[in-house]
Amino acid sequence: MISVRTAKGYDLPIQGAPLEVVDKPAPPPTVAVLPEHIPFIRPRLAVKEGDQVAVGDVLFTDKSNPRLQFLSPGGGQVARIQFGPRRVLQAVVIQRDAADEPVRSLAAPLEPEALDRLPRADLVDLLLRGGVWPFLRAFPYRAIADPDVEPPAIYVSLDAREPFQVPPARYLENQREVFTFGLRVLKRLCPVVHVHADADDQAFCEAYKDIITHKVQGRYPTDDSGVLLYRVRQSPDDNQAWFITGQDLLLVARMLQSGQYPTERLFAVAGSGVANPRYVASRMGAPIAHLAGEIQCKAPRFAVGGTLRGFSGDPEGHMGFYETALMVLPEPEAADFLTLFRPGFGKPSHSRTFLSALRRNPLPMTTNVNGGHRACIACGYCAEVCPVDIWPQMTYKSILAEEVEEYLAHGLLDCVECGLCTYVCPSKIELAATLRAAKHAYRKEQG
Amino acid sequence: MKAMRNLFDALRPRFEEGGAYHRLYPFYESIETIFFGPIERSRGLPHVRDSLDVKRFMALVIVALIPHLCFGIFNAGYQSRLASGLSTGFLPVVWSGAWLVLPMVIVTYVVGFAWEILFAVVRKHEISEGLFVSCMLFPLTLPPGTPLWQVALGISFGIVIGKEVFGGTGRNFLNPALTGRAFLYFAYPVSLSGDQVWTVLSGARETVVDTFTAATPLSVSVSTPASQTVEETLTGVGYSGAKLIGGLYPGSVGGTSTLLCVAGALFLILLGIASYRIILGGVLGVLCTGYFLNLVAGPDSAPFLSLNPFYHLIMGGSAFGIVYMTTDPVSATHMKHVKWVYGFMCGMLTVLIRVFNPAFPEGVGLAILFMNLFNPLLDHIEMQWRMRRRISNV
Repeated sequence: MISVRTAKGYDLPIQGAPLEVVDKPAPPPTVAVLPEHIPFIRPRLAVKEGDQVAVGDVLFTDKSNPRLQFLSPGGGQVARIQFGPRRVLQAVVIQRDAADEPVRSLAAPLEPEALDRLPRADLVDLLLRGGVWPFLRAFPYRAIADPDVEPPAIYVSLDAREPFQVPPARYLENQREVFTFGLRVLKRLCPVVHVHADADDQAFCEAYKDIITHKVQGRYPTDDSGVLLYRVRQSPDDNQAWFITGQDLLLVARMLQSGQYPTERLFAVAGSGVANPRYVASRMGAPIAHLAGEIQCKAPRFAVGGTLRGFSGDPEGHMGFYETALMVLPEPEAADFLTLFRPGFGKPSHSRTFLSALRRNPLPMTTNVNGGHRACIACGYCAEVCPVDIWPQMTYKSILAEEVEEYLAHGLLDCVECGLCTYVCPSKIELAATLRAAKHAYRKEQG
Repeated sequence: MKAMRNLFDALRPRFEEGGAYHRLYPFYESIETIFFGPIERSRGLPHVRDSLDVKRFMALVIVALIPHLCFGIFNAGYQSRLASGLSTGFLPVVWSGAWLVLPMVIVTYVVGFAWEILFAVVRKHEISEGLFVSCMLFPLTLPPGTPLWQVALGISFGIVIGKEVFGGTGRNFLNPALTGRAFLYFAYPVSLSGDQVWTVLSGARETVVDTFTAATPLSVSVSTPASQTVEETLTGVGYSGAKLIGGLYPGSVGGTSTLLCVAGALFLILLGIASYRIILGGVLGVLCTGYFLNLVAGPDSAPFLSLNPFYHLIMGGSAFGIVYMTTDPVSATHMKHVKWVYGFMCGMLTVLIRVFNPAFPEGVGLAILFMNLFNPLLDHIEMQWRMRRRISNV
């Protein structure tokens, strides 16, 4: 096991951590897939409203690569196909047939010993047909991995640092065999597989020391595979590596073992907006309201995927394809009076300008931007937190000046989209969103 | 609080889109956010934001400067009454000082704020709080009793030419307060240099009383006779080391007290607002250069070369400049390691200008402005170094 230490990054002192209980509510009445939040695909629908579907039936494919199939996480009727502005396909909602949910068999169950005899191309094909291939994603754009290439390495992140995710010890409980099988599958795709875990979770690292290859020490987002890649890469070719999260790897393994499309997910439901923060065992694409339970704030914000990187979920909506965390945050209500002159014991900040710096205890946070928009004053906080040593203020300025070579040389494509630069910015500049948009624009230009 | 909230709520529609004073929205916004924290929902990535904003960032610099202002008022009044042979009781001193200093501060703020509103309205952006710091710094660098029209002209030049013509806060490469100060220095040398400008005589007196030294420590140092050391000369006219550290001597309004500068530096470094790299670099630059001059000083060279390097830190405005002027984040270097170089060079140039250029007894302001010009180059060098160390990802 190799130890890697990262000095930068930041752990948000935010309230609302989930309690160590796993709630298993009755399966949700509807489930959905949200194509809008699957990166870079151009969906072509294979169903229409009212169609009967089984678990594992194709809902839509990708126009750019029709081999990428997205399967139904529920059996029943296609209740709603939701389009957004400019006809963006937002959601395909399935009304489940609760009594007798049809399930399609996609392949014969794969025996562990049969895996080694299976040619790589057939394995890729099986994963594509099983609808689990999209869980494999490729750096630097975090797009779905290209089935026709062999990557230099695959990183498996046992993700848990962003507030708040399901810790690996929780979702790997009684799943060790499945997970080990999943790792063998990855080794067939690419001989170099790195499994990295958070060094702070010592008990977990000890228990799984035979499968963990890198122990990562540091603050959020050191759990991101992109940060580890930045630390351990040897040559520019390594930048094309793939990654997958631990929970997604479990789904890949289960699909091969059962021959059916796996639909179980363990969600972290947290934040000061929920009455009962906890872990919830439910279905992929479960409704947000079903998971959240009782809400204890007037205007809740549903951050689907996490406090920093998640997208804003619709209260009537569903969880996405990849997201396993639901963070409920209160929207700001009334302005604080004379907050400028207060010592700020209760004001969370990365800087030392509030007395909360003396005790780093969890504090309540709202979705307030907490300040007016100003020009960059070059305070340098963004560079202090950037885990991959980008100088975000400089890169931001070169993006605005459209100096493509310059911002690429700054390391734009190493950006792991953690959102910390925007979080710490006192001028409230949307640094992370600007960097991400520049990355996406560059990908589009590359074709 | 309730009444205040209601007042702002009633006024807000007039300044918003479609209101009669919509063009003055930046002004309204800057006043409202002094009393009520702004409310705006984040758009995600990330959903929560740090509690720190530019307003608090800059307000804390002003907090650090308030002791300088108070001491400056006292010192101006004290020197004035001492030179005029009047009583130096606490209240009369503060009264005289306030009459000398506060009008300068008020004129600076009114004129500076007017320019900033004008540019904010024309450019349609909010008012950046850096202005409040510039307007606090500017009068503190002037001699007490500077004619108010010159104060107004100086801050206008500093804000408009030093900052706004380059695109406003964040795009200026010169420190606006120092730009204004330098403008006044060269445009009106009579009212801003020489021995007579640092003390204002009150009443009908034409000359200072005999026991009073009007010359600043720096001009005393420069004119030290070859037979004496600078320390002896300074002590001879009443400027002991302790007095120089305390700051009760004629000089610019806010820059005389080294003790307050040290306190301010600790405050700003502890809060992470000022860069300790720049400040320590500046102190090292002064000390190393002073020491180097000691080494090269021969028996025939000017006594100023043999001065104990620490005296360069406690005399004149060098401490004030290093703590408050070099650390303006916009005009300082933006990259991490070259901050040491920038600070060091500021300190070095300060001493060199003082010792070798008899036309400028004080060199810190010009040294900082000169180094401001080099900061884009220093940043470029560090950025190139960083980019070369990366494994490329294109």
